[in-house]
Amino acid sequence: MNINDGADAPYWNGLADGVLLLPRCGGCGEWLWPALSRCGTCGSEEIQWTERAMAGTIFSWTRTWHRFGFTESLDLPFVSIVATVDDCGIRLLGRLDDPDQIDPLIGEAITGRIGATRVEGRDIPTIIWSRG
Amino acid sequence: MHPLYGTTAVAGIGMRQYRRGASPLPEQGVLAEAIRAACADAGFDPAEVDGFVSYGDDKNEPVRLMPALGTRELKWSSVVWGGGGGGVAGAFGLAAAAILSGQASAVVIFRALVEGSSGRLSAAVMAHHLNDHMLAAGIVAPAQVCAIRANRMYEHHGVPRSVAEELVRASYYHGSRNPEAVAYGTELDLEEMRSSRWIAEPFRLFDCSRENDGAAAFLMVSAARARDLKKPPVYLLGCANGAEKGWGDLLENDDEALYPTAGFRPIARRLYAETDLSPADIDVVQLYENFSAQGVASLIDHGFCTYENVAEVVRFDNLIAPTGTLPVNTGGGNFAQGFIHGIGTAYEAVKQLRGESANPVPGARTCLLAGGPGAPTVSSAIFGNEVP
Ligand SMILES: [Zn+2]
Repeated sequence: MNINDGADAPYWNGLADGVLLLPRCGGCGEWLWPALSRCGTCGSEEIQWTERAMAGTIFSWTRTWHRFGFTESLDLPFVSIVATVDDCGIRLLGRLDDPDQIDPLIGEAITGRIGATRVEGRDIPTIIWSRG
Repeated sequence: MHPLYGTTAVAGIGMRQYRRGASPLPEQGVLAEAIRAACADAGFDPAEVDGFVSYGDDKNEPVRLMPALGTRELKWSSVVWGGGGGGVAGAFGLAAAAILSGQASAVVIFRALVEGSSGRLSAAVMAHHLNDHMLAAGIVAPAQVCAIRANRMYEHHGVPRSVAEELVRASYYHGSRNPEAVAYGTELDLEEMRSSRWIAEPFRLFDCSRENDGAAAFLMVSAARARDLKKPPVYLLGCANGAEKGWGDLLENDDEALYPTAGFRPIARRLYAETDLSPADIDVVQLYENFSAQGVASLIDHGFCTYENVAEVVRFDNLIAPTGTLPVNTGGGNFAQGFIHGIGTAYEAVKQLRGESANPVPGARTCLLAGGPGAPTVSSAIFGNEVP
């Protein structure tokens, strides 16, 4: 649960620095997500954290209307998406701007900016996506 | 034949079920009642039970049950890994493994859930999975996780959304006719269902199972021993548990083709291969439906239909006993029989094969029990009232 001590620490540190860093195996070139400290395909332990643009497509989505615990900082309804990041195929969980409540389309192009979600007094960095 | 095939059997069942928050006893007390009921059902001395198996965050460590049951000696206590209801069927396989390997001889499979003792199930399930990636996206509940997968199944794989309603209606139809069900005597109001509030799109309230307090227990022994007990044996014919590469707790990075499934493809493959049975041989299905779409995905995974013909198969008329060709959730399922983390579906599997169901399927000989769909590890089992 702690942001800065898992295999994905460089991801969180990247967001804090304003960039999207994603892990790629230095041995076989495979993108690895969830982040790992060893590539299960080739066995390499060389993980290359590589910057990617915050651009992608919608893989799937849900619009939440029920007030679940831990979502108190988000206005209802809100849209959560799984976004496929361009040029690597890694899918990230994130939020989508939803000003007009138009249903997202799978495959729709999106661009992201770094924001944060406040959960129990803690700001968790995240990518907030918009259409186009 | 596979070693699990017809070599162990459920000999007794017991269940106590209440509205959420309404249990008259703490969790351990309700559970002890259910276990004693299961033993009484079989005509078996509860003190002779020497093994216990559960799944999915049950907090009742078996050693603590010993005083209330008079247990003489505990020889086996184990639990199926995984936080969702994926382990419900696998628990029977674990009990059978203990019996067949001689490590225990009379094993109780159980699941108890009393909110006043253990808190909300949904919170316990999410404790396995929650991380900052999910929290930051506002994804904090099983309903949302399953909703995202459901939208992909509907939009990208062309499953018509209408099938969810057919499944929900079938569960309520059976539940309304089952005196042991929470929905007993209540006809589902279609307008109320269709206009019920959104939880997480595409799910409205009626697409979601709702928790109950209670406990259920099953006494399992060798097939030979079961034949000497009071009730007709319900044989375990096969059981599979697990996950395949490209499926699991992968931050939504599952293999693209597996993503909208319920995770059962490898389970169904093994289950049918090891029992030499096929979907056509299954007379009735007890289906864990945490959410409507995942119930449908589970039917697809188990080979009862495909993305292409799902609307022809998952029809209310086809899903109800006694006339449907694929009777599903004949006790009412998690939606309408009650939801004690899915254990009620196993209870109905046994009742159906004994001829004790409120919604009997004429001549039913085999019943498939499908565990919690969409969990990182899932399980299914096939039971039979004879060993063909
Ligand atoms: Zn590699």
